[in-house]
Amino acid sequence: MDTLVARYSAPPSQHQPLDQDEQEELMEALPPLSLKFALPPIAQPSSWLRTMTDDHANPNCPIKIAHGTTTLAFRFQGGIIVATDSRATAGNWIASQTVKKVIEINNCLLGTMAGGAADCQYWLAYLGMQCRLHELRHKRRISVAAASKILANLVYSYKGYGLSMGTMCAGVTPQEGPALYYIDSDGTRLAGNLFCVGSGQTFAYGVLDAEYRYDLSENEALELGRRSILAATHRDAFSGGFINLYHVKEDGWVKHGFNDTNPIFWKTKLEKGEFSNVTADLD
Amino acid sequence: MEVLLGLTGRDFVLMAASKAAMRGATILKASDDKTRELTKHTLMAYSGEAGDTVQFAEYVQANVALYSMRNDTDLGPGAVASFTRSELARSLRSRSPYMVNLLLGGWDVLGGKDVEVESETKEGKEGGSDAQDGKNGKAIKKTGCARLYWIDYLASQAEVPYAAHGYAQYYCLSILDKHHHPDIDFDQGMKLLKMCSDELKRRLPIDFKGLVVKVMTKDGIREVEFDDSAPVKSA
Amino acid sequence: MASGYDRALSVFSPDGHVFQVEYALEAVKRGTCAVGVKGKDVVVLGCEKRSAMKLQDTRITPSKISLVDSHVCLAFAGLNADARILVDKARLEAQSHRLTVEDPVTIEYITKYVAGVQQRYTQSGGVRPFGISTLIVGFDPNDKVPRLYQTEPSGIYSAWKANAIGRSSKTVREFLERNHKDDMDREETIKLTVKSLLEVVQTGAKNIEIALMAPGKTLEMLPVEDIEKYVESINTEKQEEQQSRRGRGAGTTPGTGTAAILTRPTGESAGGQGAEGPSE
Repeated sequence: MDTLVARYSAPPSQHQPLDQDEQEELMEALPPLSLKFALPPIAQPSSWLRTMTDDHANPNCPIKIAHGTTTLAFRFQGGIIVATDSRATAGNWIASQTVKKVIEINNCLLGTMAGGAADCQYWLAYLGMQCRLHELRHKRRISVAAASKILANLVYSYKGYGLSMGTMCAGVTPQEGPALYYIDSDGTRLAGNLFCVGSGQTFAYGVLDAEYRYDLSENEALELGRRSILAATHRDAFSGGFINLYHVKEDGWVKHGFNDTNPIFWKTKLEKGEFSNVTADLD
Repeated sequence: MEVLLGLTGRDFVLMAASKAAMRGATILKASDDKTRELTKHTLMAYSGEAGDTVQFAEYVQANVALYSMRNDTDLGPGAVASFTRSELARSLRSRSPYMVNLLLGGWDVLGGKDVEVESETKEGKEGGSDAQDGKNGKAIKKTGCARLYWIDYLASQAEVPYAAHGYAQYYCLSILDKHHHPDIDFDQGMKLLKMCSDELKRRLPIDFKGLVVKVMTKDGIREVEFDDSAPVKSA
Repeated sequence: MASGYDRALSVFSPDGHVFQVEYALEAVKRGTCAVGVKGKDVVVLGCEKRSAMKLQDTRITPSKISLVDSHVCLAFAGLNADARILVDKARLEAQSHRLTVEDPVTIEYITKYVAGVQQRYTQSGGVRPFGISTLIVGFDPNDKVPRLYQTEPSGIYSAWKANAIGRSSKTVREFLERNHKDDMDREETIKLTVKSLLEVVQTGAKNIEIALMAPGKTLEMLPVEDIEKYVESINTEKQEEQQSRRGRGAGTTPGTGTAAILTRPTGESAGGQGAEGPSE
């Protein structure tokens, strides 16, 4: 009898840990478009994330997100060149030298990875899934415009939650021809001929802008992409490792190697006489 | 450092937006178009928080298009501006407000003065703007008029003859105060815009990569070629 | 009828029928006729328009043909009021699609969406199926191939070269089956549409609506005067045909099949009682 009384006289809050308003508020805070994630029980998840991860302000921060990159992609007459380095850094620590920063969304679409490695990997894989579903539903390949917009809308719905990504979507479709989009975690989405993203972007831009033309030949374009990444890996401490090079054409992308920067650097220096600030003599 | 400019004239509205898309210290794109067509006669130019701008503009664009589809009539520029403002005001009081500054310009088909015209057909159905049949083959028609609205991210709205957002306000409003008249023609309007653009190129510390210029007239929206490649010398 | 099995929507009859859906099809059959015909680079929608009451303002009475997006057009047969809801859902989806993936909807996609909505209303409790069939026409973005789809209350959708829905749709479809050719030009396509509608519309041009779409262009509603011209030319053609037939074999019965319909009074000569029963 006592247990019965206890059950029915308990205050309603015990049955309902959150009151209605609070629950609704929590639900409304979740972006409608995207998957539902558990969030930390904190008023401002993004600012909390920032204090926990800001390596620059607090070198002892508990979470070190993998950052630091050089990625580039540009359109030219023969399709699109996509090139990246392969270094992942967490703070001043090089976490990996063999990261695949070009993400193969499907056999015609490529994405690049800059910013949080996990964010990029997860959401580009999610984009790959959406693209495949689009293909099945519409019986034709998704346009690059649509794919990039799906990603842009997705990250926009998480604006303020601390996502960190700067990515490019490259693809060639019969309707659009070669198409290249830049998407970042603020929700910006831009179509363009040429983008460089990451901590080494300025160095890559320097080399790429100077010699870029739309009517580059295939070999010239590949070489320019490779050389631009090399420039960035040389000057940017957070870029390095291997040069990952892709060429996207109408009938799919072709991989042009995942090559160590070191021999390429010395080859470039010794055969072409570039990088004259670095000495090759030991005396 | 985004530039938005707008000015009205006798039979047109001119709007201009800077072409640079900047992120941090990098210009990512030098041919960005910060405008969206809302109806055949109204254009929205936007600046502000990255991501918010395009999302908000396209949201308004889709809703205005949906209205046209549902009701078989386009909203006029005034109605579009009111709708836009109310959406901004609503979002301002939400968890994540849109941080967007807007200029909204358009040709108001139903504005202006009444004029009597010879009606060509009995039913008088050549244009959308005629009000009613007169008695002796005469119909009352509206002349139409130019409209420009200034809206900021705090959802303030004002109808103005000329407007600017961002740093452009500090340089260009004085120029427009001095040289603008309500009944200038298109060429004079373009000259005024050139004066503004030149001043910005002269004094703004950051290159905004020139302007995309669009004009709204009774015939709709058209992009205008705007040559500002010539270097501007400082005094 | 089948006792009890037509009460609730979500209940099958023992032989596998969902009666409410079949009743919805009856509502479609009572609706005015709508025809869709594909040509080489044009697609035409034709609708039977109910004759207006004397005091009705025809200029602002809603049409049976409505625009879903600037490149997609929909005509329906069945309950007017149901259609309004469905069309509105389609319009919302069309704009929403533009907003989320930039591209406008393809005709197949929006058809599938409309059919999907109709299907949903055959499977959930407390609702009634849409009493309409629709014809959805248009051109995919950056494409020159005309598209024509039909949806039904059950949620079935299908693609056609030419098709009719609504009252006497069987007669019209059979007429189209006999007369449709591939790669018709604009004039031929309109003419076939009008001709097929005249099979069931007695009162001629003033009770016909014609809309046509061409790639990259907006919807064009044909003015009444133009429709009248088509009706007249079709009528004179028919008369000539009849006369020549009479000239050749006096006394023989004029042909089979179509002839029965040919003898109906034409638009201009149909006296006072042109308006027939107020079918929904």
